[in-house]
Amino acid sequence: MSDQMSLLGHLRRKLTITGLVGTPIRYYVAVLFFIGLAVAPSTGQMDVLNMLTWTASFYFIMWVISWDFVVGYTGQVSFGHTLFFAAGGYTTAILNIDHSVDPAIGIVAGTIVAALAGLLYAIPALRLEGHYLALFTLLPPLILLRLFRMFRDTTGGSRGLPNPEPLIEAGSFSANAEANYYLSLVLLILIFAIAWVITRSDTGKIFTAIRESEDAVESAGLNPAKYKLFAMVFSAMLGGFAGAVFVHTPSGSASPSQLLELAVIIEILIASIVGGFGTITGGVLGGFLVYWGRDWLRNADQTIPVIDVPMADIDILLFYGALLVLLYVLAEGILPWWYRQVDRVLTRVRGEEPSAVADGGQTWLKRQIGSLQTRYDENREENTGRFEDRRKK
Amino acid sequence: MTVNASETGTEASTHSTGEIALEVDSLVKQFGGLTAVEDLSFEVYNQEILGFIGPNGAGKSTTFNCIFGTYKPTSGAVTFNDEDVTGLAPYRMVRKGMARTFQTFRPLPDRDVVSNVSLSMASNKLFTLSGLFGGTQEEAIEVCRRVGLGDDLYKTPDELPHAGMIRLELARAIATDPELLLVDEPFAGLSDNEIESLSELFQDLREEGMTFIVVDHNMRGLLDLIDRAIVINFGSLIAEGLPSEITQDETVQEAYLGGEEI
Ligand SMILES: Nc1ncnc2c1ncn2[C@@H]1O[C@H](COP(=O)(O)OP(=O)(O)O)[C@@H](O)[C@H]1O
Ligand SMILES: [Mg+2]
Repeated sequence: MSDQMSLLGHLRRKLTITGLVGTPIRYYVAVLFFIGLAVAPSTGQMDVLNMLTWTASFYFIMWVISWDFVVGYTGQVSFGHTLFFAAGGYTTAILNIDHSVDPAIGIVAGTIVAALAGLLYAIPALRLEGHYLALFTLLPPLILLRLFRMFRDTTGGSRGLPNPEPLIEAGSFSANAEANYYLSLVLLILIFAIAWVITRSDTGKIFTAIRESEDAVESAGLNPAKYKLFAMVFSAMLGGFAGAVFVHTPSGSASPSQLLELAVIIEILIASIVGGFGTITGGVLGGFLVYWGRDWLRNADQTIPVIDVPMADIDILLFYGALLVLLYVLAEGILPWWYRQVDRVLTRVRGEEPSAVADGGQTWLKRQIGSLQTRYDENREENTGRFEDRRKK
Repeated sequence: MTVNASETGTEASTHSTGEIALEVDSLVKQFGGLTAVEDLSFEVYNQEILGFIGPNGAGKSTTFNCIFGTYKPTSGAVTFNDEDVTGLAPYRMVRKGMARTFQTFRPLPDRDVVSNVSLSMASNKLFTLSGLFGGTQEEAIEVCRRVGLGDDLYKTPDELPHAGMIRLELARAIATDPELLLVDEPFAGLSDNEIESLSELFQDLREEGMTFIVVDHNMRGLLDLIDRAIVINFGSLIAEGLPSEITQDETVQEAYLGGEEI
């Protein structure tokens, strides 16, 4: 109720001239970006193949958002999100192929199975932390991959299940590609909006507070377990839903190489960190860069001068090499880095002191190292305390 | 049961209403073979400021952790406002009107002071629009001013001096609007001036109805602040009474023998 009132009031304030001028430029950039994607097919610049690749990239970005939603905010590290994508994608594909279930119903079922898979991580995550949790989540996708190979008849083994029925269909091949492009774009915008709103609300602030100190969150009268569970399960649902729809588009299929293999999660991780960890928006940017960077390298017809090797032959090598460099020079991610530059320029122009908390001023790595340091300090403090106690007795 | 302050023989305070806010009954906490708290019983009256004293390692923080639900007691009972709250999770205790500060601070290093404090006012609904539009931080700012962080609103915790960190701990606790506040070693490392100004804050809050348990390892900063004190050593209660009685108590002096001054 009061939420709705504040929303209306806010919109009314925003939709005045001063409100529009006062809105940060990055919001306009984001809106323009999505509008650009919406009109792109009608410019005639995008051929069918291109459209299919764009469509696939939208799903990749939805997965990046799903990953960043839980890992970037609550600090529950998962290297096993592919389990959710596969849970969604394979559930609906198998239901459709083996039991002729309608894709729309299959997608709902896939999302539910993904949510259950989310619980598989969420519950141990209440006890495990950091590296232990990361290691724990690394295993289920590997196990699932083995199981898929064992039950090849149902799952199609390493080839996967290429042809479940499409969710939507439109006459010609190109009209079909376009329809799926728009469907996927709408889903991307929807998932982006949901993740954006939640992470910018109080819930997002509680997510990040959990990452910083669960004791502080509890002392504020909030139940960390509730938020950790929600973040993981909701993330699993977003990822599983995207995976489920993906296999019913002409761009995707239920196959290990698209949903389950280690390379998939590695690219998602890199996209999220390169774009800006724990920002959602950075994930979108990083997602596009990583997806299209790799695609460009794969199709590049240039030859590398000195060693005389065609770029396309060593595309993966170049791709990972480039990411390695990028991660090293821009560990905090592109967007946080960019905001910091803008902030610095703006404050200089206005002649103010730089603000104490620039967007994403602390990098993920720095924070990780910092938290290890605090933990070490605390342990040492406690241990010396205990040591002195013993000496006294 | 209606134990009256005067019946304990210590005449709690002129402020106290005589009603029990918190009662700890035969509390035991063991860590493996080590008994950190041993059969500890005491009570706090509404609007009282109770001093909770004992040498380092006596079990004061552990007692707080058991009351607040951070640890489950091995045995014993905690009653808050006539309700058995033994072993309830900390966030539930907060909703029942209890708050605490930590001896080793628990700031959120990624955000400024106001945002640290406004966490205590965050909506606990998962799907909420609260906080989306800058949010109303006014209440949090008010609390910050109250504890003396008015000039540090937009600093991050690592920019605060030691005394500021203690104030931040207090602000987060006070922002939950508690009836009972457990304060763990607030005076450690503070100058006399700082101790005095914090004491004034506690007394003001008490006038407004809050109840306090204040831990310290000696009487130094507490003498003028507290109405009554309990002293523990090796997890057991060794004395209880007015501040002046405590400093004269022989058992207490023995407990501190060879160590620091009471
Ligand atoms: N989590 C724990 N695990 C094991 N021993 C603990 C733990 N917490 C406290 N202790 C021990 O319990 C005793 C009381 O500690 P504590 O309550 O911190 O004392 P105080 O706060 O009075 O200085 C000490 O001997 C301490 O080493
Ligand atoms: Mg202590």
